[in-house]
Amino acid sequence: MATTLTINGQTKSFDAPPDMPLLWVLRDILGMTGTKFGCGIAQCGACTVHVDGKAVRSCVLPVSAVENRTVTTIEHVGSTPAGAKVQKAWLEAEVIQCGYCQSGQIMAAAALLAATPNPDDSDIDAAMAGNICRCGTYVRIREAIKQAANGRQS
Amino acid sequence: MSGKMRILGSLVVIAIVAALGVFIVRGPGPLDFAGGTKVALADYRAGKPTGVPARLEKASLVERGEYLAKAADCMVCHTKPGEKDYAGGLAFKLPFGTLYSTNITPDKDTGIGNYTDQDFLNAVQHGKRRDGARLYPAMPYTSYTFMTDEDVLAVKAYLFSLPAVRAKAPDNTLSFPFNQRWAMMFWSAVFSPDTRFTPDTSKSPEWNRGAYLAEALAHCGECHTPRNLGFALDNRKKFAGAITAGWRAFNISSDKATGLGSWSDQDLISYLSLGHAPSHGSASGPMGEAVDHSFSQFAPEDISSIVAYLRSVPPQPSPDLPATTAPVAPASHRDGVTADARGKKVFASACASCHGWSGESPVSPMATLTGTWAVNDPAATNVAQIVISGTKRHTPDGALSMPAFGSAYTDDEIAAVANYVTARFGAKGSKLTAKDVAELREQTAE
Repeated sequence: MATTLTINGQTKSFDAPPDMPLLWVLRDILGMTGTKFGCGIAQCGACTVHVDGKAVRSCVLPVSAVENRTVTTIEHVGSTPAGAKVQKAWLEAEVIQCGYCQSGQIMAAAALLAATPNPDDSDIDAAMAGNICRCGTYVRIREAIKQAANGRQS
Repeated sequence: MSGKMRILGSLVVIAIVAALGVFIVRGPGPLDFAGGTKVALADYRAGKPTGVPARLEKASLVERGEYLAKAADCMVCHTKPGEKDYAGGLAFKLPFGTLYSTNITPDKDTGIGNYTDQDFLNAVQHGKRRDGARLYPAMPYTSYTFMTDEDVLAVKAYLFSLPAVRAKAPDNTLSFPFNQRWAMMFWSAVFSPDTRFTPDTSKSPEWNRGAYLAEALAHCGECHTPRNLGFALDNRKKFAGAITAGWRAFNISSDKATGLGSWSDQDLISYLSLGHAPSHGSASGPMGEAVDHSFSQFAPEDISSIVAYLRSVPPQPSPDLPATTAPVAPASHRDGVTADARGKKVFASACASCHGWSGESPVSPMATLTGTWAVNDPAATNVAQIVISGTKRHTPDGALSMPAFGSAYTDDEIAAVANYVTARFGAKGSKLTAKDVAELREQTAE
């Protein structure tokens, strides 16, 4: 069945069953492998993308549910103001260790900053608790989010 | 007065008191509320309330039986998850022991392969096993008794068309006196209507079809009607809601505030056929199974008939539920309830990504918490159960599921998150403890 989605500002048409998770469409059909597969049950955050600006887990989101909605992935988030700030801070704070969870972390952080430009610790907890980092880079993630928020240089 | 007369007099008084007691405990039958003139099915000319929908009228006996077996939802109870369909062995945990469903595949040794038509009618309509033993009313023969012989035998033909599976259910572990099957003879005599469906001429043909489907086949009351002293359905509170197998079956009477009175026809049709109605939530647990295996297979006109019937059931209030469900919660985690810091932590890491802080899901309307009875129930029964066992909805656009958190979180954490969720998204927060959650885990089938 032909499906049309707006992904990263572009219109993409492809054949996929309506119940295929958006993550599979991104990675396997469209070849956009920046978004990662982690747990497959919306419990780790590695697959986070933006749908209409909100952070959602693409592994449980049927592609039929995002038709007529705007999808942004890690490949394009740098072109949004919040995403650009987050990526810059990420590099400056050397957040990444193994890197597997980081595209999801960046997407969650960018959605947080877009909605809450000056988050405090409780805002960061509420927005980021569902994004797991097995290397334990949480301290640097928190630091980078604060840095991105107030534009401070390290 | 002579001694003999006095004894006789006492006996008469005892008999009258006993009869009155039985009459009071038993209460009305499931269709007595309608109050119209009943006629024998054969004399009813306005429509055909029994059998299959029009499109299957010419179908084979086995196909008709399949439709009726699904409408009666035989499979869910007679199948253990992961095992062969209809081969039995599902555990029903009751306060007085565990019952196991039986194998109803045509296997001659462990199933019903030796059942004659009369044996099958005896079991389904009268609660009598082929060897003469009494069935426990976990098998809803008190509802199936309203089925016509023709429909019961069509179901038999369907079951006999299935592959025979050799599977013996474990022995029941009921305690005394509940392990005395013969005693069910008296229970049955008092509590089983033991009669076939009789149409009500004061009602529409659609209502009569709905009554037959809801009472004889779908057996809605078995979960949604509270039970009396004798563990039989108390039809004075018909469809007022009850706890069954650890889940709350909500009020489905026509009560405006706490029943179905304010649901639109379209809401009800959508809930029954898809397991979801916008702003009313999604079916999970036993009702999710009923939708997946039974209601979703109904012909559209049969769903409409059930809706017409449900509308006629007198309102019964549920005093423990709020008069109105809570509105959408604030979009920010900061606003709204702040109680239960631990529950909030669990919610932030495991729930918020799909359900959102407002309760309106960014993923799918099916995952929206706002407006559902589950989060507006101050007992939080179904919230805790869904957290424990997860849920899965099948829709025309594919399946959507929530993972089970029962083994990932402790009873304490589950209680905390249920209390947080009901306080944030419902009208009144629950006060569940770890002990309550442990008990809920115990009550679920399997």
